[in-house]
Amino acid sequence: MIRRFILPLLAALMALMPGAHAQPVDGGRAMVELIAERDRVEPGETLYAAIKMELDDGWHVYWRNAGDAGLPPEVRVLDGSDVTEAALGPFVWPIPHLLPVVDGEIMDYGYDDQLVLPFPLTIPADAMGSVQLNFLADYLICEEICIPETAEVSLTLPVGPSEPHIDHGTLIGKWIAKAPRDFEGEARIDASNSPWELSLKTEGGFDTGSDIRFYPFGHEISHPADQPLSFGRDGATLSLTPADDSLDGPLEGIIVVETADGARTGYTLTAGQGAVFEHTSGIAARAAATGADGKSLIALAIAAAIGGLILNLMPCVLPVLSIKAMGMVHAVASGHESEVRSHGLWYTGGVLLSFAALAAAIIAIRQATGTANLGFQLQNGPTVAVLTLIMFVIGLWLLGMFELGSSIQNTGSSLASRSGSMGAFFTGVLAAVVGAPCIGPFLGAALGAVLDRPALSVLIVFLAMGFGLALPYLVLSFVPGLSRLLPKPGRWMETLKQFFAFPMFLTAALLLWTLGAVSGPAAVAWTVAGGTLIAFGIWLARRGRGALTKVLAALAMIAGLVYPALTANSSTAAGEGNSQYAEKYETEAWSPERVIDLTDEGRPVFVDFTATWCATCQLNKVTTLKSNAVQEAFAAHDVAFLVADFTRKDPVIAEELKRRQRAGVPMYLWYPAGATEPQVLPEVLSQKLVIGLVTAE
Amino acid sequence: MFMSRRNFSLAAGMAAAVALTAGALIASTAQAAPDAGEPVLAPDFTGTTATGETISLSDFAGKTVILEWTNDGCPFVQKHYAVPPANMQGLQTDASESDVVWLSVISSAPGKQGHRTGAEVLDMNEGRGATPAHVILDESGDIGRLYKAKTTPHMFLITADGMIAYQGAIDDTPSARVSDIETATNYVSAAMQSVAAGEPVEMASSKPYGCSVKY
Repeated sequence: MIRRFILPLLAALMALMPGAHAQPVDGGRAMVELIAERDRVEPGETLYAAIKMELDDGWHVYWRNAGDAGLPPEVRVLDGSDVTEAALGPFVWPIPHLLPVVDGEIMDYGYDDQLVLPFPLTIPADAMGSVQLNFLADYLICEEICIPETAEVSLTLPVGPSEPHIDHGTLIGKWIAKAPRDFEGEARIDASNSPWELSLKTEGGFDTGSDIRFYPFGHEISHPADQPLSFGRDGATLSLTPADDSLDGPLEGIIVVETADGARTGYTLTAGQGAVFEHTSGIAARAAATGADGKSLIALAIAAAIGGLILNLMPCVLPVLSIKAMGMVHAVASGHESEVRSHGLWYTGGVLLSFAALAAAIIAIRQATGTANLGFQLQNGPTVAVLTLIMFVIGLWLLGMFELGSSIQNTGSSLASRSGSMGAFFTGVLAAVVGAPCIGPFLGAALGAVLDRPALSVLIVFLAMGFGLALPYLVLSFVPGLSRLLPKPGRWMETLKQFFAFPMFLTAALLLWTLGAVSGPAAVAWTVAGGTLIAFGIWLARRGRGALTKVLAALAMIAGLVYPALTANSSTAAGEGNSQYAEKYETEAWSPERVIDLTDEGRPVFVDFTATWCATCQLNKVTTLKSNAVQEAFAAHDVAFLVADFTRKDPVIAEELKRRQRAGVPMYLWYPAGATEPQVLPEVLSQKLVIGLVTAE
Repeated sequence: MFMSRRNFSLAAGMAAAVALTAGALIASTAQAAPDAGEPVLAPDFTGTTATGETISLSDFAGKTVILEWTNDGCPFVQKHYAVPPANMQGLQTDASESDVVWLSVISSAPGKQGHRTGAEVLDMNEGRGATPAHVILDESGDIGRLYKAKTTPHMFLITADGMIAYQGAIDDTPSARVSDIETATNYVSAAMQSVAAGEPVEMASSKPYGCSVKY
């Protein structure tokens, strides 16, 4: 009963409330609504409005280029509006999805579920009271069939001191942040042969685990055709099937980069005609390489098994094996042949189980850290620095500078010396445990190749390695006479072990070279210094007796490992896999005092008054402030970049906005070096504008 | 070292000859793929009409032929059949008056939008005043795929000597609004006029708009 009265009452109250209000309109297959980032607007201001569409299940609407069929949505101004068509800016098109209509024949580009289509809207300079917006959303909506629908949407925006609409501003901001940004690398299209090659060059290259697709603005290429992808050190190349015989002028569109975890980022680009850039192709992408995968997996497994076989020669493994082999000869002589065989199988089981556990651990770590592939790891400065140091330390160990894990070995030995099946099983585990540290020198390459593969491949390669390790013992247990052929343990083992130190040092040198490319010469110098420090720590630990010496040694080793990793991180341009954007975006919280401190120092200061619900702020952040070019200009001119976050009402920020006669964010303040009073920048920034200001210093 | 005028014209002539030969080669090799660009030979096909006849494109050699991909459930097709202004019907009348053969093609698969029996098609055309020479029931989609028909409508104009002189949209205003027809430039009627006058078709190819063909 009560509800029946309250709902209309509430609706009536809402209508009376001073604030923007609108109702979603049912267009038929979609609920359509006109929303704006402001609740109250000032005359003459430009803000973001948006058409928000909630589509029925299975229905979709189209991108700016609909593909082979379909039409993009349009917005027209209806009679009774206080604005004209000229007040509406172009749509900010979100990244579209592929809509395959007929497999391999008809491909469309568009959206399903929800679409928020933002556009700039300029309030008339003479607006008074309120601004009435009556728009017609005209869109083609398709499932299996297509229906042209229209929805008359309206919105009344009261005029007064500008006031954000938190929910709608946040929603519009989120969609703008997801829109394609300018591609900061270079793009070229080689249309001299079919298929055309679209070459994308970007510092640090792309994460080779990602998928890239080009969505053209026009119809120069076949929409349904596959776009085979290959990677290089400095970028990627897509093969595009042309729709026309020739290409006039540049090719425009967006690329959508989809990482292994499904995150999609779009970049707008104009590819001029020209040859494919160097180092942007050659490495086949995962998708294209699926055919070769099976074959290369077999090759890897064989390599791994051979590596495991070689592990038997390691000084840590061979003695264990020899003792067991002796025992076998005796056992066979006293007529326990079948027991020997079962021991051989138990031993193999122990080895395989240990290697399976190792593989599981690696898969788990990979899962937990999200480092889906080694290509990524080798683009990551700190990872390369730490790997270099580990290779170096293993080299030192092989040379005999120190002993490793003798306690583990002892525990294993006591278990292994138990007789019977359990003894054989733990001998297998022991062989794996002491053999594991030796894996690096022989199987570094195979290991690296397998790390970015599916979990099953990792397991297969590790098991193959374990099988290689177990094979000699297994063969001996079935053919005990062969033990005569087993090399006798002796000094030569130590010599061999020491020899293997040199491949390790070579690997370290190779990694250093990679580090130089990724993080620069300073990181290389610090890594070499770190290696020296670790060697010093090891030496100290072995010489010294007192607790202080031990602590010093530990400190030296930790510092030697951690500091290079830190320097490799700070100087790297390729920190986060795909390095097109300065992800670091170093910021400092704004306060009036901080500004005075910095300007007193004579530093130029840039202040970004922003909020998550401010769509314009998000747009400026994506297109300008976060871009490499602007970040580099800031760094080069020692600009202090301060952020005043107005997401939550903050009296100090509100005071500052008021002082600059601004009703809200965004507001950008620029204090040139030595200045105490700022310039207030326009609400819509461009890279050119900001870089111009900074470099004018 | 400047090229004399005579040498220049010789070089230009040779270049033109090479270009022509290349063009002819492309045209002959691209026969099965009537894409945009250079003039392309229209691939021959055979199909069954709404009245049960079996016809081939080659039956109409020596005449201008228009192919219209259609689907009566598609709003873009409905736009051009709407009365008034009866845009498509008008074009069909113009065609028959100037001895141009109009072939409507329905490539909708059975069960898909626009799939019709011959009797249904004849009824429907009588109802809306459509007068194509034939309606081809291409329910396998073979003819549609041969011509890479993407949308309904998707129009082709084939000259008397069997070349595709126009392929693409019916006009320059991609929309489903009937009111847009009045202000649109109709590519098909422009192409028909050029071909009738023995002139090259100015707009030989465009991006078709409409619903996807329901293969």
